[in-house]
Amino acid sequence: MPASATSQRLVLMGAVLGAHGIKGEVKVKSFAAKPAAIAEYGPLTDPKRKRTFELSIVGTADAAKGILIARMAGITDRNAAEALKGVELFVDRGRLPAPEDPEEYYLADLIGLSAFDGKGEKLGEIVSVDNYGAGDLLLVVPESGEGFVVPFTKAFVPVVDIKGGRVVLDLPADFFEVPEHEEEEAAELQEAAP
Amino acid sequence: MARSVWKGPFVDGYLLKKAEASRGSGRNEVIKTWSRRSTILPQFVGLTFGVHNGQKFLPVLVTENMIGHKFGEFAPTRTFTGHSADRKARRE
Repeated sequence: MPASATSQRLVLMGAVLGAHGIKGEVKVKSFAAKPAAIAEYGPLTDPKRKRTFELSIVGTADAAKGILIARMAGITDRNAAEALKGVELFVDRGRLPAPEDPEEYYLADLIGLSAFDGKGEKLGEIVSVDNYGAGDLLLVVPESGEGFVVPFTKAFVPVVDIKGGRVVLDLPADFFEVPEHEEEEAAELQEAAP
Repeated sequence: MARSVWKGPFVDGYLLKKAEASRGSGRNEVIKTWSRRSTILPQFVGLTFGVHNGQKFLPVLVTENMIGHKFGEFAPTRTFTGHSADRKARRE
């Protein structure tokens, strides 16, 4: 993925849920890590870049779900606000600030990268990055077959080349092997116990 | 009711064996297990376990603040992937 393509990409930041009140305010579902940050990256656009929306946050409708009440430039009555229901709000990837930590990466940059092994053989494409409380995990899906999950650590992912559109994975030799079921091992242990 | 303290934390014996073998080998490996019920012990810190969630083995890199929790807590069986937006991942 060339650098210019990275900066021109759009990143989905939220969506308009509907109107709020009669003065043209709208309810916005924010997907940002901090919901209010949706308004901090400059004007938002629709997926085709035909319209731009300047958002100002005026309140919170549901903090737990990241639903905010916002005012948009040029939207002054409820009818205009209702017409925006369902509009997805994007920001140019180039508007997001560079991460302060060199080991931090935007999920939007990681998703879509090709994954190669040390020998240069393509293993698949990163389709999602999740965190269940034990570190970030990359879900890599090959062209055919089931996907696999790799911990996002230097040991398993020694090379991350966002500009080159690739990551290099260092997987142990037995990574794709499924061990024998442990119930048999447990039975053996029980037999061995006095 | 909470588990009696005198019993100590529950860990499947075979998992302890696997962890000891992995630590001894010093290789970069994933210890695959179905034992979601086992408690994370201090001697597991630094090891990477692959905890089965019913579909696949999810890697769990054990850190100090995970001690006392169960492996299953870090490998959810029902998952929802939200939008990435401005979220970041950190390479440890």
